[in-house]
Amino acid sequence: MRSALAWRILTYDKGRTALAVAGVFLAILLVFVQLGFFIAVPQGGMLLYDRTRFDLLIAATAYEYQVQPGEFPLEQLDRARAAPEVALAAPLYFGSAKWRSGEDGKAPDIFVIGVDPGARIFTVEDLNRQLAILDQANIALVDSATRPMFGPLTTGRVVDIDGDKVKIGGSYVLGTGFMGLGVILVSAENFIRLFPYRKLGQANLGLIQLKPGVDPDRAAASLRKLLGSDTRIFTRPQLEAHETAYWTTRTSVGLLFGSGLIISFIVGVMVVYQILATQVSRQLPQFATLKAVGYGDRFLGGTVIIMALLIVLAGFFPALAAAMGVYAVIREETLLPVEMSAARVAEVFLATLGMAAASAWLSMGSLRRADPADLFG
Amino acid sequence: MSAPSNLARERRSVGFVPLAWRNLLANKSRLLRSSGGIGFAVLLMLMQLGFENAFFNASLEIIRLLDGDIFLQRASKYRFATKDPFPFRDLEAARGVRGVASVWPLYADWHHLFWRDPADGKTSLVRVLAFDPDQPVLSLPELDARVKDLGDLDAAVVDRRARRFLGMNPPPPAAELNGSKIKIAGSFALGPDFENDGTVVIGDRTFAKLLPGSGGGPPDVELGVVKLTPGSDPIAVQQAITAAVPAELAVLTKDQLLELERKFQADVSSAGPIFAMGTLVGFIVGMLIAYQIIYTDVAEQQPQYATMKAMGYRTRYLVQVVLEQATLSALAGWVPAVLVSILLFRIVGEVALLPLHMTVELAVVSLLLTLSMCLISAVLAVRRVISADPAEVF
Repeated sequence: MRSALAWRILTYDKGRTALAVAGVFLAILLVFVQLGFFIAVPQGGMLLYDRTRFDLLIAATAYEYQVQPGEFPLEQLDRARAAPEVALAAPLYFGSAKWRSGEDGKAPDIFVIGVDPGARIFTVEDLNRQLAILDQANIALVDSATRPMFGPLTTGRVVDIDGDKVKIGGSYVLGTGFMGLGVILVSAENFIRLFPYRKLGQANLGLIQLKPGVDPDRAAASLRKLLGSDTRIFTRPQLEAHETAYWTTRTSVGLLFGSGLIISFIVGVMVVYQILATQVSRQLPQFATLKAVGYGDRFLGGTVIIMALLIVLAGFFPALAAAMGVYAVIREETLLPVEMSAARVAEVFLATLGMAAASAWLSMGSLRRADPADLFG
Repeated sequence: MSAPSNLARERRSVGFVPLAWRNLLANKSRLLRSSGGIGFAVLLMLMQLGFENAFFNASLEIIRLLDGDIFLQRASKYRFATKDPFPFRDLEAARGVRGVASVWPLYADWHHLFWRDPADGKTSLVRVLAFDPDQPVLSLPELDARVKDLGDLDAAVVDRRARRFLGMNPPPPAAELNGSKIKIAGSFALGPDFENDGTVVIGDRTFAKLLPGSGGGPPDVELGVVKLTPGSDPIAVQQAITAAVPAELAVLTKDQLLELERKFQADVSSAGPIFAMGTLVGFIVGMLIAYQIIYTDVAEQQPQYATMKAMGYRTRYLVQVVLEQATLSALAGWVPAVLVSILLFRIVGEVALLPLHMTVELAVVSLLLTLSMCLISAVLAVRRVISADPAEVF
C-alpha cells in the first residue's frame, strides 16, 4: 500500500519526477567521478608496483615513496637472495634525465628504470619477452604512455639523453603513473652509462619473489632479522598502505577530492529533498485526509521514504552506466588507472541510500504539518 | 509636466520589486529550502572553480614573485620546476643591451637537495632557490629584511607554509641540507605546490658550495632576471637581448614565462577538465533545483496571477515579476554560498596549504553563473504564467 501510494504520487506528475531523477543522476555521477579521482591518485602512485611481480620489497630506511626511494647497498639484496625462502631477488635503479630530443626543441625529463634483463619481474608478459633486447649497449624500451612532447617513440629512433645517444628498442604498455611525463627501461649496465655518478653497488629498490608456499609475513620477519636495521622490508599490503597514505595525506589530493565528494553528496540530498518537500506540500490535503481516516504518521513517513528510495534508485543505475563511460574518458585523457570496482559501486550505492534517508528525514517536517483540521480551514 | 503619468510610472517601478520580494518572503520555510538548494549548487561551483584556480596558482606563485621584467632561460626548459641551467657567462651579452638596467642570476634546484628536519631527523627533497644577496631577484617583503643574512655562508631562509612534515613552521634555528649544516636566518610564507613540498632560499655562495658546477667552477644559472631602465620599451629590449645572447637561450617577458607554465600545467595535468566538469554539474543541478522552486511557486500563485490578469495587468508585467523573483532567489542562494565558501577556502587552504582565495573574479563569475542558472529556469517555468487564464480562478 505504501509503495503503491508512493508510486502513484511519483507517476502522477511525471515531468517533475523526471527532473528529480535527472538531478539525482547528476549528483550521483559527480560522486562517482570525485571518488574515481580520489582513488585513482594513489593507484597512479602504485602503478609500477601493481604491474611488477614481487612478494616483498626491500628499500632504504630513507624510503619516502616510489619516486623518492633512497639507496641501499646491493650486498643486502645478495644476502636476501641466499635466504632459503627467496626464489628471486632483483634490483631496480631509478634516475631522471633530460631527453634532449623533445618536440619544439624542449628537453622534458625522462624517468629511467634500470633492471636486470634476465629477471622476469613484470606482470606484463609482452614486456618480459622484450627485456632480452636491453642487453645491447645504449638501448632502451619506452613506455607507450610517454607524452607526445617527447617526440615520436618509433623503434629504431636514436635520441639524446643527457648527451648520450640511446636507441629506442621498442615500446611496452605499462603506464607512467606519477613517475613522470615519460618512462624508459634500460639494463643496469646502460643505466650506469647514463648516470656515471651512480654505482651498480647502490640499488634503489629490491624485488623479492618467494618460493611457493612461503608466508610473506614470516619471510619478511626473518629477512628483517637477516638484513638488520639499515633497510626496510615491505609486504605488499604494507606497501599499498604506505603509498596510499603518502598520496592521500601528504599531497593535497585527498582533501581536494574528499571535499568535492562531500559537497556532491549534499547537493544530491538537496535535489531529492526539494522534490520530496514539494510533493508533500502539494499532496498535503490528501495526506491530511489519510490522517483523518486513521493512517498514522508512520505510514505517511514510510511513503515519503519509499518515494525517496524510488527517486534515487532511478537515478543510480543510469549514473553508474554514465560513470563507466566517464571513467573510460578519464583513463584515456589522464592515463590514470581509474577503474570501476565492485567495492566502489557498493560504496556509492550506500551513499545513495544515505542521500535518500537524509532527504526523506528533512521532508518529514512538512509532513507533520499535515493537519486534518486544515482541510476545512 | 504630466504628473499623473509620472506617478504611474513611479508606482509601477516601486511596485515591481515588492511583489517579487513578498512572494519570496511569503513562505519562510520554502525560502530556506530554496536558498539551501540553490546555495549548495553554487557552493559546489565555487569550490570547483576555486580549486582550479588554486591548482594553477600554486605553481605560478613562485614565477609571480620573480622581481624582473624580462627573463632568460634555456630554450629547452619546458617548465619552471626542472633543472636546465646555462653558463653564467651567457648573461654577459644581455648586460650590454640598451635599456637593460641589471641582469641578475637565479640559481635553483628541485631534485638534488635534501632537507633534514632537526626535530625528527627525516630527510626530504626541497626546492632550493639561490641568488647573490646584493642582487635579490625574489620580491618577498619578509625576505627583504633577511636578505643580507644570506651573504653568510650556510645561512638560509625557509618557507613557513611548507608542508608540515618538513618542520619549517616555526623555523628551527638550524637544519641540514645534503648533510651540511645550515643556519636558519628567518622565514617567509609561500606555500607548496603539487611538485614541491617546501622551499629554502640561500645565498649563491652557499649554493655553489652545496652543488658546485662541473669541474668545481661556479654553478650554472637557472634563470637570468633582467630589469629595464625606466621608460624603455620592453618589446624592443626583448628583441635586442634575443639578438645579443646565444641561440640556446629563450628571452621571455614575465607574461610569457607565466603562460609557458600555465600551458604546461594545462597540457599535462587534467585539473582543467576535472574541475570544469564539477562546475558544469553544479550548474545543471542548480538549474534543476531553481526550476523546481520557481515552477512550484508560480503554480501556487496561479490564482493570484490570474486575478491580476483579470484586473488588467499585462502578461509582461507578470513575467517580469517571476524573473525578478528568480533573481532574488539566485541572490538568496549566492550570498550564503559565497560566505560559506570564504570560510571553507580558508579552512581547506590552511589545511592543504593551497592558495585558495575568494577573488573578485571568482565572485563575479559565480554570480553570473547563478543568475543565468536561475533565469534560464525562470524562463522555462514562466510559460505557466503566460497561460494563466482569469476564468480558471473560478
